[in-house]
Amino acid sequence: MNEQLKSFLEGLDGLTLECEARRGQACSLKDLEALRVEFLGRKGKLAGAMVALAQMGPEDKPAAGKKANEIKAALTALLESRQAELEAASVQDGLAGFDPSLPGRRPAAGSLHPITLAMQEICEVLTGLGFEVVAGPEVENDWNNFEALNMPPDHPARDMQDTLYISDSIVLRTHTSPLQVRTMLSRKPPVAVIAPGKVYRRDSDLTHTPMFHQIEGLLVDKNVSMADLRGTLTAFVRQLFSANTRVRFRPSFFPFTEPSAEVDISCMLCGGEGHIKNEPCRVCKRTGWVEILGCGMVDPNVFRQVGYDPEAVTGFAFGLGVERVAMLKYGIGDLRMCFENDVRFLEQFS
Amino acid sequence: MFISLQWLREFVPYTGTVKDLADRLTMQGLEVEAILDPFEAIAKIVVGHVAERSAHPESDHLSVCTVDVGQPEMLQIVCGAPNVAKGQNVPVAMIGTTMPGGMEIKRAKLRGVESRGMICSERELGLSEEHAGIMVLPSEFKPGQLLTEALGLEREVIEVSITPNRADCLSVLGIAREAALGFGLKLTMPQLNLVEDAAAGDATKVVRIEISDGELCPVYRARVLTGATIGKSPDWLRYRLLAIGQRPISNIVDVTNYILMELGQPLHAFDRSLLKGDVIRVAPAQDGQTITTLDGQERKLLGSDLLIWDAERPVALAGVMGGGNSSISDTSSEVVLECAIFRPGTIRKTARRLALPSEASYRFERGVDQVGSLFALERAAQLMAEVSGAHVMTGIACAEPKPWADRSHIFRIDRCNALLGLDLTPEFCRTTLTGLGCGVDASDPACWQVSSPSHRLDLEREVDLFEECGRVYGLDRIPAVLPKISKSLDSVQMSDTEFGFLQGLKAWAVGAGLREAINYSFVGTDDLDRLNLPVDGRIMIANPLSEDQNVLRLEIAPGLLNNVRHNLSQGNASLRLFEVAKAFTADPTSDTSARENSRLGMLVHGSRHSQEWPWEQGEADYLDVKGLVENLLAHYRLTGPKAAADYVLEPGHPYLEPCVRVELPGKDGPVLIGRIGRVQPKIADAYHARKDIWLADLDADLLRSLSRALTPVFRSLPKFPPVRRDVTVICPATLKSQDVEAAIRELRPKQLESLALVAVYAPDAPADSSAPAERNLTFRLTYRHAERTLVDKEVDKEHGKVLAGLPQKLPVRI
Repeated sequence: MNEQLKSFLEGLDGLTLECEARRGQACSLKDLEALRVEFLGRKGKLAGAMVALAQMGPEDKPAAGKKANEIKAALTALLESRQAELEAASVQDGLAGFDPSLPGRRPAAGSLHPITLAMQEICEVLTGLGFEVVAGPEVENDWNNFEALNMPPDHPARDMQDTLYISDSIVLRTHTSPLQVRTMLSRKPPVAVIAPGKVYRRDSDLTHTPMFHQIEGLLVDKNVSMADLRGTLTAFVRQLFSANTRVRFRPSFFPFTEPSAEVDISCMLCGGEGHIKNEPCRVCKRTGWVEILGCGMVDPNVFRQVGYDPEAVTGFAFGLGVERVAMLKYGIGDLRMCFENDVRFLEQFS
Repeated sequence: MFISLQWLREFVPYTGTVKDLADRLTMQGLEVEAILDPFEAIAKIVVGHVAERSAHPESDHLSVCTVDVGQPEMLQIVCGAPNVAKGQNVPVAMIGTTMPGGMEIKRAKLRGVESRGMICSERELGLSEEHAGIMVLPSEFKPGQLLTEALGLEREVIEVSITPNRADCLSVLGIAREAALGFGLKLTMPQLNLVEDAAAGDATKVVRIEISDGELCPVYRARVLTGATIGKSPDWLRYRLLAIGQRPISNIVDVTNYILMELGQPLHAFDRSLLKGDVIRVAPAQDGQTITTLDGQERKLLGSDLLIWDAERPVALAGVMGGGNSSISDTSSEVVLECAIFRPGTIRKTARRLALPSEASYRFERGVDQVGSLFALERAAQLMAEVSGAHVMTGIACAEPKPWADRSHIFRIDRCNALLGLDLTPEFCRTTLTGLGCGVDASDPACWQVSSPSHRLDLEREVDLFEECGRVYGLDRIPAVLPKISKSLDSVQMSDTEFGFLQGLKAWAVGAGLREAINYSFVGTDDLDRLNLPVDGRIMIANPLSEDQNVLRLEIAPGLLNNVRHNLSQGNASLRLFEVAKAFTADPTSDTSARENSRLGMLVHGSRHSQEWPWEQGEADYLDVKGLVENLLAHYRLTGPKAAADYVLEPGHPYLEPCVRVELPGKDGPVLIGRIGRVQPKIADAYHARKDIWLADLDADLLRSLSRALTPVFRSLPKFPPVRRDVTVICPATLKSQDVEAAIRELRPKQLESLALVAVYAPDAPADSSAPAERNLTFRLTYRHAERTLVDKEVDKEHGKVLAGLPQKLPVRI
């Protein structure tokens, strides 16, 4: 090997060593770029060394050229690895002030009113059972609210509901039952509807407000029986409360159903035991049962009023107080609080 | 109504516990609401024997008694009653007893003498109004015995809630019938032992009954008693009435109340010496006529009221209350005892109109047993004679223009079982129906003939008999079967219903960060007046609970504004509320006289964002509430690339200032969706709001009908890049952004894809400048060609049209 080639090769190795030694001093991408120019630039050290290559004999050129390429690759690799290090460090530096515990930019939170929550849940369960939702006016005429429902004027049953009157013949509907009348007047059987909505009574205390919400259910078809009613309500309360909720039918009276029943469900707080750890249950007052709705088989007189043939079809109807469900489900004690709309109250139902 | 168990047991030999009876009655449809001890307040009072009595050394009206209460040690009790004497048995409240009035008996010194208890008067025990002296008990009572036991006072009373159809259960007899049915026991009626005295006279000779209309009064009977001594009723009668919460008055009146409670038949006793002539007439009042009832009130009458008349004048308001001119007084001795049946609707109308509910009218308006009424009269006459020493004349003065007729109904057991979902046997149904007092003719096994008893006026139809069979068998034994619900082809899905739409609207509002409020549909007229809302169109409530609930909401705002007041008073300073509810306007063309319109109300007040870092602080303003509206309209696809809403200032709104109409373009001109605005500060002040209240009130029904028809239609995504150019317009501050935007569009730059306002800069006007205020509006115009990439030159040309054209159309500089 001639001297010229030897010194050329040593010179190139020297470049690698020098670059390796100096690259650590490059503390920024800018320093590193200067270093790259110094070694690999058009007027850089490698380029400088290559001048010698041109003057070499043809026997030396292949070896020298090969070495020069290796050195170029080695230098490039050295600089690139340093670049990767610097970039990684710069990301780290950028994260130095990152505080995962700072509060987020939270959008304003909205919420449904607890009565709406209960209402929607009830309607979902019932539509799932096959009922369709209908709606109607809150200001109602006496015929739809009372007379068609088997409550003629001067009937004592009207005492069951303290009515708010607009005029002698117009009332604020005292129940959602007029929707039974409106639906049957406009449709032929079979009918399977629920009617959620606001209703009004002249009553105000801890558990009564002059406006509240009911959901009416009505199923009319051939051969509908009270067993169907019990089945529907059992399925309903099991989905709404829990799978082991029991249902109790107590005979009662509503002018528009015959037979009529009040429905109690086993108390969801004490599980129907009437007491919790020997303390009387505050929800069911020791009875183990909680009254939840009224129901019955549609009275033949109602069918006659709407032009259905009571010999041809039968049906059941039920009416459920939504506030009652909301109070039981969410443990709301004073119903009047529902209508003050204090945001600290509303927030709890987010 | 209250039912005493002791009393009940005179009719039915029930030996079980009060709890079991209550449970059984409840499951038979007679809900027992409470089990009470009517004499709980005096349960601890004992019988004492006054062994010694001496005068108090320091007082001339007090006595010092040594009382034996059955304990080894005698009690020394100081007593102030004038009638206390050695050898008496007396009721004693010992140390630690709480009296009915709430006073606790403590060891005390009265004028230096120790007293260890109290000797009680009847009034102190709540047994009568007697308080002139202490109660003196029979000598056979034993010292130390509990007073309630010694007197035989009832300790078990049930409170039963009777539904309006079960008039027959408004009596001990009625509940006894149900107990007999429920426990398979035999019902026993009290023995009648009425002694008529021929020497006293013949009732049919001294009183003649005339009834003008048998529909109003199917039967009227009267017994006549003579020589009665009015006084206090015997103890057993008084205690029995007390136990069920009835105040004893005098023997004759007490007997009428006793029979009313026992048999459910209201009675009335007249003082015969005060009746004119020898006739009792039942006839309607004349319009405008008056009667003074026995409570001293003058009542103005209508022709629909029914009166009892003597030969000259009305003497009672039939079925409701006796007249003051003929009632029994302490000096009465001659009695006419009325026992009648009146038409329920007539009694109810009168009692309600005059606000005169009574135990009598309550029963008459629900229906009284016409056949049973004769027994009630006889038993009442017998008891009256017994307790007042009166003699009962022979005979009954009577008119019965409409005798009771049995009602017969068919009963098809197949239908009964089909309706109830049960499999009752013919034997069970027959036993049940006969147990109820029905007559059953089962000669056709598929279709029986059943007659219902006169005390069950509610058994009017076949279905009523089904209910009885179910009730007695136990409705709770009906199995649960899930019905197959047949749906029609026209059934609509939930989201297409009004309820479904409003539910979706609420879901949007929750997502937009609003909290749902629910307010009463009614407010006070003050609430509407405060907002300067028109008087026309208001729907007033005729019988409101209070003045702040006397009118239906014309708009959604009043309720939400009340929520602002409530929340601010509770220190909740920032509010983002919404409500979906109906607004009500009078509409004579509606069959309910009202037009109901679902509204969406949104209200923002106070801080725009949470007051926590990192949100910048700022008060909610127009742009916040408008942003909600814009988001909503876009949510329902009512606005988009092809359709924009107009926001038009509306001067002179009753309570908003500024007020902005939200309009959508429609076939026949703009459609008003609702309004946005700031509650006028003076009005906001009334709700204690120091900061702006911004409201939006939108028509939810309209949103629903407009959005229903809209289905999203896919548009291909652009293939070629856009070119964006900004233009900043220097314009008078009074020029609306919307107008600049419209002017740009009118210049019709080709290939303009979209246009957006990207910056607003309002430099502070120099203090001394009289020049009108200006602001800079920067719009970003996006140009795009559908089929190729635009070149700069083309865009320059179109954009140049805008730059050149704007200053010509509007008073602006570029």
